[in-house]
Amino acid sequence: MPGAPLPEFSSSVKLKYVKLGYQYLVNNFVTLLLIPVMAAVYLELARMGSEEIMGLWRSLHLHLIHILCSFFVIVFAATVYLTSRPQPVYLVDYACFKPPSTCRVPFSTFMEHTRLISSDEKSVRFQMRILERSGLGEETSLPPANHYIPPRPTMEASRAEAQLVIFSAIDDLVRKTGLRLKDIDILVVNCSLFSPTPSLSAMIINKYKLRGNVRSFNLSGMGCSAGLISVDLARDLLRVHRRSNALVVSTEIITPNFYAGNQRSMLLPNCLFRMGAAAILLSNRRRDARRAKYRLVHVVRTHKGADDRAYRCVYQEEDAEGHSGISLSKDLMAIAGEALKSNITTIGPLVLPMSEQLLFFLTLVGRKLINPKWKPYIPDFKLAFEHFCIHAGGRAVIDELQKNLELSAEHVEASRMTLHRFGNTSSSSLWYELNYIESKGRMRRGDRVWQIGFGSGFKCNSAVWKCLRAVKPPVDGPWSDCIDRYPVDVPEVVSL
Amino acid sequence: MDLLWTISTALLLCSLLSILWKESDRRRNRNCYLLDFVCYKPSDDRKLSTELCSDIIARNKRLSVPDYKFLLKAVVNSGISEETYGPRSIIEGREECPTHDDCVDEVDDCMYRTLDQLFLRTGVSPIDVDVLVVNVSMFAPSPSLTSRIVNRYSMREDVKTFSLAGMGCSASPIAIDLVNNIFKTRKRTLAVVVTSESIAPNWYCGTDKSMMLGNCLFRSGGCSFMLTNDPSLRHRAKMSLKCLVRAHIGADDDAYSCAIQKEDDEGRVGFHLSKSLPKAAVRAFAENLQRLAPKVLPVGELALYAVRGLRHRLWRSKEAKTDAATAARVNFKSGVDHFCLHTGGAAVIDAVGRALGLAKYDVEPARMTLHRWGNTSASSLWYVLGYMEAKKRLRRKDRVLMLSFGAGFKCNSCLWEVLRDLNDGGAWEDCIRAYPPQTLVNPFMEKFRWVKEA
Repeated sequence: MPGAPLPEFSSSVKLKYVKLGYQYLVNNFVTLLLIPVMAAVYLELARMGSEEIMGLWRSLHLHLIHILCSFFVIVFAATVYLTSRPQPVYLVDYACFKPPSTCRVPFSTFMEHTRLISSDEKSVRFQMRILERSGLGEETSLPPANHYIPPRPTMEASRAEAQLVIFSAIDDLVRKTGLRLKDIDILVVNCSLFSPTPSLSAMIINKYKLRGNVRSFNLSGMGCSAGLISVDLARDLLRVHRRSNALVVSTEIITPNFYAGNQRSMLLPNCLFRMGAAAILLSNRRRDARRAKYRLVHVVRTHKGADDRAYRCVYQEEDAEGHSGISLSKDLMAIAGEALKSNITTIGPLVLPMSEQLLFFLTLVGRKLINPKWKPYIPDFKLAFEHFCIHAGGRAVIDELQKNLELSAEHVEASRMTLHRFGNTSSSSLWYELNYIESKGRMRRGDRVWQIGFGSGFKCNSAVWKCLRAVKPPVDGPWSDCIDRYPVDVPEVVSL
Repeated sequence: MDLLWTISTALLLCSLLSILWKESDRRRNRNCYLLDFVCYKPSDDRKLSTELCSDIIARNKRLSVPDYKFLLKAVVNSGISEETYGPRSIIEGREECPTHDDCVDEVDDCMYRTLDQLFLRTGVSPIDVDVLVVNVSMFAPSPSLTSRIVNRYSMREDVKTFSLAGMGCSASPIAIDLVNNIFKTRKRTLAVVVTSESIAPNWYCGTDKSMMLGNCLFRSGGCSFMLTNDPSLRHRAKMSLKCLVRAHIGADDDAYSCAIQKEDDEGRVGFHLSKSLPKAAVRAFAENLQRLAPKVLPVGELALYAVRGLRHRLWRSKEAKTDAATAARVNFKSGVDHFCLHTGGAAVIDAVGRALGLAKYDVEPARMTLHRWGNTSASSLWYVLGYMEAKKRLRRKDRVLMLSFGAGFKCNSCLWEVLRDLNDGGAWEDCIRAYPPQTLVNPFMEKFRWVKEA
């Protein structure tokens, strides 16, 4: 029948080897081409014998000066090429905030508080259903102000939470790296939903007595993908300023953002967002290259704000009663998928091996010219990356991405377990996930990591890192006391 | 043999040429040009006369009569005219409980009006914008203000957006610094920066004196400007950035807390301005000037300063009564022709003018901006620049220094060189002929004379 879809051969063993062979052939094309050439040259030389070879050499009339000139030119060209390349940016180390156990919010606590705060029985039941299906565990944390009944979202409490999470993360980072804070040249802070004046960056400068000529930037309102925006900005600054380092702080302050109303689309953040922060030290100094954990390879930012649907899917507004909250639209998953596709079209050519790019290109051509009914080829990103850190925005986001990228359960394990243990910590979640992978001893030298962040706007940002030295457990970090319990099986629905 | 020789020489020449080419390319693309700027002019129904201010203040029933008089005195003596603008929600009586829409509308009006004009005047399409920076210190909704602009103008997917918040009144040079750094990593890049402030959600409705001044002095304003590092657009550009200096003294606790947003004793959020603010401003100013002077002043002036300083030190014991004014002082006017001073208040402008040794002519743009527009926070520098342009003061090769202060505590400055004679009226178009006015005294001084006698 002409319109029948192609039968599924991919499970066939034979096809697997064909695929492997194809990948090997295309990715190593140049090497494979060179081998017969070199073999031919060798055979020719062997046939000619040493006398003929010496005769050939003398006939070139190579004087010492020619050799020196050529040598000089080659070295010169190589130097020019090397110095004109952009400076590499290294991730020396990073630290994540480990919430104290006093801030823990088990399901029972959360539901009890919700029942006491909210008068609307329906919205209480709705929040319970969300929590049951959320993928969160019993050890996620909320700041002290949210433990009050009702929560006390004062500015002072917000600042206190900021000080707690940010200073703990920075202190940890200083301990791990021996960083002298007076040496910091660049400071980038991102916190989406809390932006006091003076900024959080000024707060850090005040607490740690940073230098007067530090270049500080405070990004706000940029959503859960702002961590990678900060890394992008730090990278641009590090490309301009030689022998510098940058401190990037990513966090989300929960205190001022408790939603006190009953509109369903706005209740989700209450259930999912939890306390967290990460402090990252980036550097372009050569001496840091020796002890750095990762090198930043690519950062790709995609902004879908031009599309109204995407723009409105995470939107801060007031409900009918005047309570302010963030409303999440039902299209969120579909929009996330589309944003990811756009991001992939840019990052794919940068990271995918030639075999995948060729297949993708041929399928595209085929679909356009031969038969539009061909299935679009989804490049296999598992060939480009060993580890994936997907923003732990919620269970549905992780499921959607696992489906879109055809990832296995192990690939998304870091994201699922971070969601379970820490909840949705917004922009810092990617760092908790990276720490999970390290704590499990899976990070080896040469491994490539893909961090994907999504956020309001709607943005999808990616960062690609390459591991420079193996990270051996036990790893000092937020997972140090509980990594042995993971992975856990997170049921579809936890009945409360 | 000759062939080899020729080849080697050719290769050497190629390498040298490529190095020279790279260097010249780098230099050509290193500049930051200001293509145009548009200052925000709100609609006339938003004008705040002193009478209206007095009514608004009187609405706060918690204020005692002395407090009311104190505030009115601040308004009357501020050097601000009857023509400044306030947010609609405050004029319409919703100052204590502005809705989210009020706040968003206030910023949207500023951003969209100025951006529409900016794109029209420069002939640049929003699709061509590569970098977008917005700085509004005291309002950061989700999605960010940059996302609002991307949505409204359907900008590209790979536009680099940055939404700065909390960075105070001196955030304009910070945004320029950000863009300038990005320019050094990419060629032929176009950036749009929007700077404004949000007043509607930040009205203080308590009784703490240190927090009430903000209510009296801040006014609605904003500016959008376009920057590029594309050398082919140089002929259309107005100014070129020469240097930028940022000084942050937040490491000092007093400086950090001298201008801070916090709750008063009754739990109401306001912007606290402490008595140690002038001292912090002086320190930050000094630190900034120390780093700015060598970049801005000609070598002769620096040498003269060094000699004067040495002489002052050596002969200090002999001349016991050395006047502070004759002590070693740098003459900034030797390296700078025009001064854009942040219009933080009449006292601030005068103090900075004295410190830099400026004449009345030099501080006139800042004083007139304070009079016509009030303290519009980070965008004030652009209104001052607009005044100079409308008065046709900016001629080719003139050097303009922008200097501002902000919470944290920061003092940021940047030096521009004018590329061609400028004569746009801009936001000052309809009123520049009336400036400078005969008197800056508030016309209601008669009516509110009792305030002075209190």
